[in-house]
Amino acid sequence: MLRLENLRKAFGSTVAVDGLSLTVRRGEVFGLLGPNGAGKSTTMAMAVGLLAPDSGRVLIGAGAGASPSDPSVRLGLGLAPQSLALYDELSGEENVTFFARLQGLSGRDLRGRVAAALELVGLGPRKGDRAKGYSGGMKRRLNLAAALVHDPPLLLLDEPTAGVDPQSRVGILDLVQSVAARGTTVVYTTHYMEEAQRLCERVAIMDLGKIIAIGTIEELIDAHGGGSVLTVRRNGGPATADERVTTTDPVRELTRVMTGPDAATIRGVTLDRPDLESVFLTLTGRRLRD
Amino acid sequence: MLSAAWTIATKDLKLLLRDPAAAFFTLVFPLGVAILFGSIFGGRGEQRQDLALAVWLGERTDAAERMARALESAKGLAVSRAESRAAGEEAVRKGRATALVVIPEGFGRAADLLFFRGAMRLEAVVDPARGAEAGLITGKLNELAFKQIASGITDPARSRALLAEARGQLATARFSDPLMGPTLGRLFDALDAVNAQTERAGAADGDVKGAGGGFSFQPVEVTVTELERRGSAGPRSGFELSFPQGVVWGLMGCAMGFAVSIASERAAGTLVRLTVAPLRRGTILLGKAMACFMACAIVQALLLTMGVLVFGVGVSSWPLMLAAVVCSSLAFVGVATLLAGLSPTEQGAGGMARAILIVLAMIGGGSVPMMFLPPWMQTASSISPFKWALLSFEGATFREYSAADMALPCGVLLAFGIGGWLVGVRGLTRQRAF
Ligand SMILES: Nc1ncnc2c1ncn2[C@@H]1O[C@H](COP(=O)(O)OP(=O)(O)OP(=O)(O)O)[C@@H](O)[C@H]1O
Ligand SMILES: [Mg+2]
Repeated sequence: MLRLENLRKAFGSTVAVDGLSLTVRRGEVFGLLGPNGAGKSTTMAMAVGLLAPDSGRVLIGAGAGASPSDPSVRLGLGLAPQSLALYDELSGEENVTFFARLQGLSGRDLRGRVAAALELVGLGPRKGDRAKGYSGGMKRRLNLAAALVHDPPLLLLDEPTAGVDPQSRVGILDLVQSVAARGTTVVYTTHYMEEAQRLCERVAIMDLGKIIAIGTIEELIDAHGGGSVLTVRRNGGPATADERVTTTDPVRELTRVMTGPDAATIRGVTLDRPDLESVFLTLTGRRLRD
Repeated sequence: MLSAAWTIATKDLKLLLRDPAAAFFTLVFPLGVAILFGSIFGGRGEQRQDLALAVWLGERTDAAERMARALESAKGLAVSRAESRAAGEEAVRKGRATALVVIPEGFGRAADLLFFRGAMRLEAVVDPARGAEAGLITGKLNELAFKQIASGITDPARSRALLAEARGQLATARFSDPLMGPTLGRLFDALDAVNAQTERAGAADGDVKGAGGGFSFQPVEVTVTELERRGSAGPRSGFELSFPQGVVWGLMGCAMGFAVSIASERAAGTLVRLTVAPLRRGTILLGKAMACFMACAIVQALLLTMGVLVFGVGVSSWPLMLAAVVCSSLAFVGVATLLAGLSPTEQGAGGMARAILIVLAMIGGGSVPMMFLPPWMQTASSISPFKWALLSFEGATFREYSAADMALPCGVLLAFGIGGWLVGVRGLTRQRAF
């Protein structure tokens, strides 16, 4: 559906994307993860033809694919940019209608899809208000509605949950899941690992313009997550006295503890499986990014 | 392509109307300028000054020359000699002269024979738009011509020659009233005596108030000829000057708005969406251009409607007015594109556009009407597209241009439109605006 081949993009001396290749398959939800400045947005921009890569190429669609510099290829694209792209002085409905028209929609089809998109993001009751009066979360949702109103087969969402409350976040995640269930291919950028874990079949973790790991979440955890942590708490002991055991075989370790001589003193046992977050931190380190 | 461009254009107009400041400066402010300036200029655009006359001598006789001199020395008249009748008419058409005074062939002869052949004839060629002046000029000519006759009579030498001629005619003339011949003979004798007396008194200074009071006939016949159709005398009211100025300010507001339009879309992030939409780059520009064109046309239409319906601005030709509005709008689409290409940021494009447009509008007649600018400024202002927009608007109102006259300003405006567009698109491409 989307193939990026050896993309490279530099801004002056900053190399934003450095030899990146990946393939997104039809119908999957693909997560592009990475710390700030990793090059996620730059990759998205090249994928939709906004930026011309210094080298490498982008191919969209079935078979050999075609370049997004061709307008007819972009007909199948929906992009929700990281920075909101809305007209403040237009109402929510007018915004979505305008972008839908640019996609060639008109008449009843247009009206129907605009109404559906606004319903989908939960802006139906406020659709007549100017966008400048919307809260941050509402603007995010409107930004999303404008990207998917024409029901594109390939949807690219660049941090669609940035700056929204938990309710909006859950709403947006549900929405992405329902869109994906209809067969839409989604590329989803975020640095919230639990979002990726919930939505994505496959993820790529990138840092400093390069992909440092790619695969299904299970594969990444197995490869980079390290062992599970078994924590045993005993009666009368303070929390600081908890025993922690790191293991790659939590079941065997648990059996050993529960059948041991001090089993009667056990008050509780917790098993922490490694998750994407630990994979992420293992791979990208704990150093702060610009 | 067109429908997408139209979608962008109508969206831009909607945004313009929803931005109170932008809407004010594009639509309301120009109208305010037009009304305010029009009221300041008063009933007539020009300051009260000497009535400009062109004079053309159809014959080289002393009488004609004296008449011309009399015109030249008369108070309240600024007289220039025309080399030909056509040149004089052109001066009237262009508004350099209010009227052309034609001293026709046979004027001298008529002056000499005036006792028998009726009045001397003078012709005043005026612009139909300036009917009010025609009466004034007729009166002035009558007064001056009469003084000429009177001075002829009180100048003994001329008078004697004139009487001799008259006597000669008297000898051959036939009168229906048999008493007329002898009566006139006696009159001539009396006049001869007056001449002798005047000569002795040495009082031949030509101040002849009341002289000739005894002759009860109309000595000068001034015919007023109206120039055909395209007389471009001048504005009939201050509003005919100020509404073209309003157009200048309106066009300026539009060009300003659309010069920053692309930069604003970039700042708002919406340019990203436009660029990712399945449109050619040219379509986005075309949409912007259409919006600018429509805004320019709407401002002009608004000013024109108000001007014609409320402030008595007269349109000499609606087709030419349409041409003027279309060409001005196209010119400012080009100007806006050129300005947009100068800088990729809102502040940059806006600042530069403001500085450049204000200077161009000032020298182009936006603040002081073109006709009041010093001649060198009028020449220098040709670099300003505003001047040509203003001229084309005036051409379709009080200047009463013909289609041929309109070709120049419209051609220049189109050149500004095309040139600005080409340079602007190059600038935008270099900026990687898209
Ligand atoms: N237009 C630009 N001009 C100069 N440098 C740029 C530009 N766009 C991106 N960069 C640089 O390229 C690098 C990658 O930026 P990018 O926006 O792709 O990161 P990101 O992964 O999307 O980060 P974030 O999570 O903060 O959105 C950064 O170092 C950034 O400073
Ligand atoms: Mg980003």
